[in-house]
Amino acid sequence: MTAMGRRIVALLGLLAGLGLSAVVAAAGTASPPGAAVYFHYPLDGIHVPQRFTVRIGLKEMGVAPAGVTKANTGHHHLLVDAEPLDLTRPIPSDYNHIHLGNGQTEVLLTLPPGPHTLQLVVGDHDHIPHTPPVLSKKITVYVR
Amino acid sequence: MLTHASLRMLVALLAALAARSADAQQPQRKASPPEARVFFVDLKDGATVPSRLTVRFGIDKMEIAPAGVARPNTGHHHLVIDAPPPAPDQPIPSDPNHLHFGRGQTEAEIILPAAEHTLQLVLGDQDHAPHDPPVMSEVLHVRVDAATVERARTPSPPGATVFFEGLDDGAVIPTRATIRFGVAGITLAPAGTSAPATGHHHLIIDAPPPDVDREIPNDPNHLHFGKAQSSAEVTLSPGPHTLQLALADHEHVPHDPPVFSKAIRVVAEEPRAPDRPAAPAVAQAAPGLAQATSGAGAPTRTPAPPDAAVYFIYPPKGATIYPNTTVRFGLRNMGVAPAGVAKANTGHHHLLVDVETPPLDQPIPNDPAHLHFGNGQTEKKISLAPGRHTLQLILADAQHVPFDPPVMTERIEVTVMAPRKGGAAKAASKKRRR
Repeated sequence: MTAMGRRIVALLGLLAGLGLSAVVAAAGTASPPGAAVYFHYPLDGIHVPQRFTVRIGLKEMGVAPAGVTKANTGHHHLLVDAEPLDLTRPIPSDYNHIHLGNGQTEVLLTLPPGPHTLQLVVGDHDHIPHTPPVLSKKITVYVR
Repeated sequence: MLTHASLRMLVALLAALAARSADAQQPQRKASPPEARVFFVDLKDGATVPSRLTVRFGIDKMEIAPAGVARPNTGHHHLVIDAPPPAPDQPIPSDPNHLHFGRGQTEAEIILPAAEHTLQLVLGDQDHAPHDPPVMSEVLHVRVDAATVERARTPSPPGATVFFEGLDDGAVIPTRATIRFGVAGITLAPAGTSAPATGHHHLIIDAPPPDVDREIPNDPNHLHFGKAQSSAEVTLSPGPHTLQLALADHEHVPHDPPVFSKAIRVVAEEPRAPDRPAAPAVAQAAPGLAQATSGAGAPTRTPAPPDAAVYFIYPPKGATIYPNTTVRFGLRNMGVAPAGVAKANTGHHHLLVDVETPPLDQPIPNDPAHLHFGNGQTEKKISLAPGRHTLQLILADAQHVPFDPPVMTERIEVTVMAPRKGGAAKAASKKRRR
């Protein structure tokens, strides 16, 4: 995983990356049929300024802060320039994996110029992707 | 025209300015040899240049001599910036637009603001007067790349300090802790407020001290407190961290000299009981009794961050929409949590259709006009009859009571078009304009 450096990934206000509780890999929580996570903004292939707000949409599911165990809910994770995930393990918490553990549905990003990939994945109360995973398409944006 | 402030010259040039001595009397003009010329080295007309620019001066068929030295076929350079060629029979003025190089310098570092500028070299004799005929370069037009402009730094008052209040090097703190910022000798002011001897805090977490001549970055390692906050609740992952406070001016640039605290090391530990002590003081009473305590007593409404906002991602205000439309909810600076989950700065959405804003100190009613999204949903497909409708989003806490201050949208009006295309849709859009 390329640690893209401290200044790459920015969050307004709080650190989203709450420390992961040491969770043994377990079968993920079930996701409801038709559940999908997607980008309201940005869309695949667009040019964006260095600072922009990522807006997250979620279909057929609800948002709950990390730690809240409730069926058909989860919290968002934004993957920036990240390698494919191991979907059976807790999502890592680092600059390439932004945890929106307070139930946020948007996040302000600051990225250096150039192409970047973004992907959304919903994690359950233990930050583990659901079964089947609720994962967006990996999109590419061009930071100017 | 350049102002003196915008054109900051380096120390070397200051001496040159002093060289302008007794020039008051009309000097004799010195002859220049034919074909003598001065020119810019490696700088072309129309060039784009950085703001801090080293200009090199070339000379041909003559020689450089310091000001005051009377020797035939010599002179010293003058750089004319954003000014017309000087009068040939007068000493060249000495001001920010006319830089003298009376010690015989053949290069200079200048700082130009972001704009188009003209540059011209003029040779002057020992009395700073142009020769006869004048030895001048062409006028170069250059454009300064705005990205290269260095930020001016605000001076800090002597003795200004920032420090952590009640937090020492080596302290053990909870993973979610309130950190207090102390300040002395300088006043806190919100970002964007330009006043002397003011600034706002930045908390630097696990990062080296920021560069002093540019904006402090805004990322998880550099938290900005642009509302002049003097404390903040921060969440740290368990383990050791370094913290440092940096004050910066209205443009987030550190002062000169910088007002930084010492970097301290802290260790964050998970609290024993995961219970949130700051559980919202929501009315435990049955819904409907909540309004009894709306006076000066205990607050029944959960506080919301002042910059929190809920908004419609879709539809926008005034939109014409299909009868079956997915309404998408946006939320800024707060999080979503299912109903019943009491967690600071979270709530759940309510979509109000064709109803007035309900009382804000009571739970939002639960009926077909007040849609609750107690599972934490952030969108909903709704069906509306053709015609005009109003929509409103209100975020509410674990007990369905709106926040204080309320986090809600205005009532937006949308027009639902008839299921058929054509004339009906047109009529609908006309109606929208009323």
